[in-house]
Amino acid sequence: MYETIGLWVAAIFTLAVFSFLYKENPLYRLAEHLVVGTSLGYSIVLTYQRVLVPRLIDPVSHGENLIMIVPAILGLLYITRFFPKVAWLSRYPIAFLLGTGMGVAFPYDMQTYILRQIQATMIPLYTPGAPWYDTLGAIVIVFGTLAGIIYFFFSKPHKGLFFGFGSKVGIWLIMIGFGATFGFTVMGRISLLIGRVQFLLGDWLGLLN
Amino acid sequence: MTNRWEKMLNIDRRWLYLLIAIVVIVPFFIRMGLPVVPTQEVRSVYDLVDSLGPDDAIFIGWDFDPGTEAENMPMGVAVLRHAFARHVPVFITAVSPLGQGLAEQGVASVFDTRVPGNFVYVPWAEWESVREAGYVGRDSLESAWEAAGNPLPEGARGWVFEGVDYAHLGYLPYFSLVILGMGTSIANQYPTDAYGNNLHDMPMLQAHKNLREVDLAVTLAGSSACMWWILYGTSRVGLPVAFGVTAVMATDYFPYIQSGQVVGMMGGLRGAAEYEVLETEGGYTETTGKAYRGMDVQSLAHILIILLVILGNIAYFAGGFHKKTALKSRR
Repeated sequence: MYETIGLWVAAIFTLAVFSFLYKENPLYRLAEHLVVGTSLGYSIVLTYQRVLVPRLIDPVSHGENLIMIVPAILGLLYITRFFPKVAWLSRYPIAFLLGTGMGVAFPYDMQTYILRQIQATMIPLYTPGAPWYDTLGAIVIVFGTLAGIIYFFFSKPHKGLFFGFGSKVGIWLIMIGFGATFGFTVMGRISLLIGRVQFLLGDWLGLLN
Repeated sequence: MTNRWEKMLNIDRRWLYLLIAIVVIVPFFIRMGLPVVPTQEVRSVYDLVDSLGPDDAIFIGWDFDPGTEAENMPMGVAVLRHAFARHVPVFITAVSPLGQGLAEQGVASVFDTRVPGNFVYVPWAEWESVREAGYVGRDSLESAWEAAGNPLPEGARGWVFEGVDYAHLGYLPYFSLVILGMGTSIANQYPTDAYGNNLHDMPMLQAHKNLREVDLAVTLAGSSACMWWILYGTSRVGLPVAFGVTAVMATDYFPYIQSGQVVGMMGGLRGAAEYEVLETEGGYTETTGKAYRGMDVQSLAHILIILLVILGNIAYFAGGFHKKTALKSRR
């Protein structure tokens, strides 16, 4: 019973969202607002049940883990943003969070985004016995990375063999990258449409086996 | 003549939407079964899951929201089905509250016994009597459960015992810090699962106390949250991580495969379809799933879009709009 009602509600609002393709209309706006509202409502309830109650309210009310009062107060300081006279207090949790985040993330960011990526570029162009496409791939990676970096090097005019030709190759490779990203983006958008059509035709109308 | 080209370039976009709608709806009724050839990136994920067994464990991160459900959900269902078929214990997590609900939906679709080849879910509380009688291993648990008068329903592929084969840990905020914490102890981060069961008692938690004792994390992501698994899982404890990302994100993460930081990747609906094909070839499922079915539609829609792009370019050049003078005269 509830499953059927849920299906119908989902289907009607899916069609309401699709109606935007014809033109902007109140039904679309209703669906849009409901999505945002219900998502937020669900998130608040779940966060309260999964996080606040078991980790803060329950233990503290039983006199356990009293140290949790400190982060709770820090969290509450965010609310001072709504009161201009004491809004400066909200900077403390923000500063604490940013400082902790930076301190924890920095070494791993360096390793993940920079060191390992540089290491992955420092590869031999030719490995004896390797298939030709591996060699071609290695050449593209090494010279493509260099060309891309040259393109973004603005302290020298992009002239001559190294900077001029290098930056031209760089921009071409960047454009090829953008093209691939755009192609994947189109694929992604069509996939989302396919998902909704599958829901409408299959789950709702039962036309697909 | 130019007027015709101009009209073509200014065509009401709603006609194009209608064309796309036709191309997306009709192929569902005329199944073509265009081939889906698995790529190495997807095969790597499949091979790793395929090499695991009951003594290993994987995490599946339901790290997406409803906006990308169409792409990420089939990946999650495919990997989950594969892991259950091999009796690999699965931990499920979510980086957002909505992800937890979607995880429940995804898992429920694998436990829907109305569908042949699905699994029968045995909640933690239901097999308490067998547990109290003395749990010694998965095979003995299955035998004891069936001996207690629980025959496997016809058409079902096997049992999934909560606490042994599966634990839904649910959502926690600041998930990057949760991953860091799980490097030391999973149960400390999640004292209870999403349904309030005590995780310390669960056999799979006793066998896999922290991320160092886990063999793979597959993150199904619709945002850059998937990188947290690499940042804090791979970089800190050496946890192998595989990505199941949306097509839009896929190109961003290829460098991480080349660098060896990611085991493999399922990119968009196509990646999910490739995984489904591999599962079918491996004998884990009798038929492919939703993603594979969507690929015929995907291919036809792409052909239509390519044709429209070519037509648009023909109209642009044939109408002389590429000349600056022609453009100026129309401003």
